[in-house]
Amino acid sequence: MKTLLENKTNTVKVGVVIIALALLVTLPNWGTRGMIPIFTLIMIYIAFGQMWNLLSGYTGLVSLGQHAFIGLGGYALAVSSERFGLPLYVGFIMAAIVSFLFALIISVPIFKIKGVYFTICTWVVAHSLGLFLSTLAFVNYAIGINIRATFRLPTSTIYYVALGVAIVSVLAVYLLLRSRFGLGLMAMRDDEDAAEARGVALYKTKLKCFLISSVIMGVAGAAMFMNLGFILPASAFGIDWTISMVIIVIVGGKGTIEGPIIGAVILVMLRQWLFDFPGYSMLILGAIAIILILVAPKGIMGLVHRFTGAEFFSVRRRPKRITEPK
Amino acid sequence: MQSVLSAQDLAISFGSNHVLKSVSFEVGQPEILGVIGPNGAGKTVLLNILTGILKPNSGTVHFMGRDIANIKITERVRIGLGRTFQIPRSFENMSTYENILVGGVYGDNIKEKEAGRQAVEIAERIGLSSHINTMAGRLGLLDRKRLEIGIALASRPKLLMLDEVAGGLTESEIADIIKIVKDIKAQGISVIWIEHVLQTMIDGTDRVMCLAEGQNVITGLPQEVMQSKIVNDVYLGVDEDE
Ligand SMILES: Nc1ncnc2c1ncn2[C@@H]1O[C@H](COP(=O)(O)OP(=O)(O)OP(=O)(O)O)[C@@H](O)[C@H]1O
Ligand SMILES: [Mg+2]
Repeated sequence: MKTLLENKTNTVKVGVVIIALALLVTLPNWGTRGMIPIFTLIMIYIAFGQMWNLLSGYTGLVSLGQHAFIGLGGYALAVSSERFGLPLYVGFIMAAIVSFLFALIISVPIFKIKGVYFTICTWVVAHSLGLFLSTLAFVNYAIGINIRATFRLPTSTIYYVALGVAIVSVLAVYLLLRSRFGLGLMAMRDDEDAAEARGVALYKTKLKCFLISSVIMGVAGAAMFMNLGFILPASAFGIDWTISMVIIVIVGGKGTIEGPIIGAVILVMLRQWLFDFPGYSMLILGAIAIILILVAPKGIMGLVHRFTGAEFFSVRRRPKRITEPK
Repeated sequence: MQSVLSAQDLAISFGSNHVLKSVSFEVGQPEILGVIGPNGAGKTVLLNILTGILKPNSGTVHFMGRDIANIKITERVRIGLGRTFQIPRSFENMSTYENILVGGVYGDNIKEKEAGRQAVEIAERIGLSSHINTMAGRLGLLDRKRLEIGIALASRPKLLMLDEVAGGLTESEIADIIKIVKDIKAQGISVIWIEHVLQTMIDGTDRVMCLAEGQNVITGLPQEVMQSKIVNDVYLGVDEDE
């Protein structure tokens, strides 16, 4: 009986996912012109939120420097396109490679640093990268570069890239959590030292999350700057990106897959409504985040889960039912 | 008697607090070694040394004939050193089943499918079958203590170290725990069992060691040790808060 019920909810879930995907894929055909750029932003912010959540929501490594990878991804795209004349898709591959290598190198010193000092160092690294690029003639100093190849792109193309990035980010987290690796990751999220005492290798798990998070963040960063068409160090390596990610995750719900999706929708919509008062949307979101931390530390998803028990992307493991003859 | 673990001259201090000065003992295969001692005697510290969480200032530990000084925490679980935490540390946002899975998958390096089958069996053995899909954070204290044993068992230890799993239990619950531990020994698993509850030590162990003032002051048959003058002096010398 229960199995039947579970199968039924699973069918409903799969149905919802298919309908949602179908709506998103056909958006350029039915949506208004104004909707496409908004959904493009939502998609990219979903990826940002998922990746920050994967790192900080699960491993407890609170990084305030993940925008380093948005900047690196953006510059990888800009440089390969403008300086080397490579097609844009190569720019995305370069974004992934550069982010991976930078994450790998920086992990060596930065993983030796613990707690709040880790958080500060990640920010310093990101900020320094911005300052460093401002001194390079190759990338036109602090003035920045136009990514001209993006100018001719239809908004729907940019939207599809963003949609792809969002799907990859959600799928990556989902598959990761369902895997053997995810079991250890969830244990680590709940109690790091106890997880280690039970055989979960902390360093390896954290490094793997950091690398995956950084690579996809870099690709999402490339998508963001493909959307913007222009890049300069101050915007590429600005902490605003990371503040947005943190708010998305806190508002939506830390340590869940649904959380960053809900958070990204709220963040982008609110900014849209308050478009004429740019400072206010962040102020309001910040206030919402602080209130949520106080009254519902697990965010909106935490509240939904508490009152309805609903969990959309369930990564729960359940024992196989034993069919014993009665 | 063949021993699964032998510790020689273990010492550790935190600043000027010399918690262990010289502790030596052996655990037979299989054997249930009870460990008693007043609050703050260093019983939990001793477990933390054996599992690699703390490094001793001096002394050696041999596990199945091998010096384990340089073996990492995670590796010690896999070679067969299992433990429970005095204050239960189950993974709160994971179910009973998933908690036990972690023990098997990470503590014994087995496939999730096999760990799953094993988890169902273990849940039954520790009496948590009816809570198999309950989040550990929603279990009561007694159930969480049972779960501690379950997670440790899932790593298929050769030596299981229990840190006060019977404190605060009723008499019949204590009888249950004793039965669980004796069953564990019957499977060939050795046990180090730290406990303040006298009944568990007398009915549930093969030998008892008393830790006090940084040393193993006496080791012997449970009745002998419990009735010894040394143990009486040790416990009279401190405020009993049990
Ligand atoms: N990591 C640590 N750093 C500093 N001091 C510690 C640490 N761990 C334990 N101690 C100290 O070591 C002493 C022994 O502690 P331990 O927890 O081993 O006692 P215990 O015998 O387990 O007592 P109880 O019966 O209350 O559990 C205490 O004084 C404690 O404060
Ligand atoms: Mg203790």
